[in-house]
Amino acid sequence: MWMILGGLLLGILIGFHLPVQIPQSVARYLAVSVLAGLDTAFGGLRATLEGDFDTAIFVSGFLANTVLAALLTYAGDLLGLELYLAAVFAFGVRIFTNLAMIRRHLIKRLAKNR
Amino acid sequence: MSNRGTQLILSVVLMIFGFMLALQLKARPAITANISYQRAAELTALLKAVEEERNSLREEVKQLRDRLAESAAGLSREQALREELSKARILAGLADVKGPGVIVQMTDSKKPSTAGQDPNVYLIHDDDVRAVVNELFSAGAEAVSINGQRFVATTEIRCAGPVFMINGVRVAPPIEIRAIGDPETLDSALHLRGGVIDNLALWGIEVKVKREEEVLVPAYNGTLQFKYARPVKAEGTR
Repeated sequence: MWMILGGLLLGILIGFHLPVQIPQSVARYLAVSVLAGLDTAFGGLRATLEGDFDTAIFVSGFLANTVLAALLTYAGDLLGLELYLAAVFAFGVRIFTNLAMIRRHLIKRLAKNR
Repeated sequence: MSNRGTQLILSVVLMIFGFMLALQLKARPAITANISYQRAAELTALLKAVEEERNSLREEVKQLRDRLAESAAGLSREQALREELSKARILAGLADVKGPGVIVQMTDSKKPSTAGQDPNVYLIHDDDVRAVVNELFSAGAEAVSINGQRFVATTEIRCAGPVFMINGVRVAPPIEIRAIGDPETLDSALHLRGGVIDNLALWGIEVKVKREEEVLVPAYNGTLQFKYARPVKAEGTR
């Protein structure tokens, strides 16, 4: 568990200290991708609590969601349509659902331990 | 979760995620600072206000012009019209005018033409005359005539075999161009280094400029009939 959190921290540190500035045109795609990644992370946490976590599903979901979200945004730009709103909406709803489930599981666990 | 390989994979995935997050957080201030995102609405409002102000000022200009025209009419309409007319007649070339200016004499080259050389280059051409006239006008000449032909808005200077056509009249060298304007300015404009006279001198064409206290430029003596052009009624004072 600590190793995973260490990985996250390492990634953040590298990102902040690397002298790379992404251009603004790409920033929007990355924003949607980050949202997709966040969604996958919460999904994984929920699956862990429910006991049916699968590494393959988690990793593939993470990669596919981030790439798809960026592609969707790009397609929207091509069409002159704010298509990234669809990704924002879908991932946003799922993040909230996952958080609600995580909360329930945690409360149940606390109640059992008492 | 106990499997070490799984943990490693998850660490790498989360590392990528953290990397993306950090990049995005770094880029965010640039986005919010972007005018197109933040200030577009503000600027639109500003533009609208300025446009309204401009429109009201336009209206004011129109009213003031109307009042000016009214007061001019009240003073002495006839005199104003007469002055306007005499100015217009000078501009149109319908009146003889005199004043200080220059008289330019252009003569064909006296250089003996050498064998194998095109003799045409030693003669005055229509574009040579045009160049001189153009230079005179650009130096502030107010009236110009060429061999007695007043230069007006419809004047052509065109090659017609050994002679020129100017105002539909044949004109042959030597050419005498009379121009009214500041004599010194006109003279020095023609004598600019690398200017008109320098260029013509290359071919031996002689150009003499005489400053005069008083030059008489005759009126245009062609017909004044317009078959096709009709005036457009101007709308208001705009």
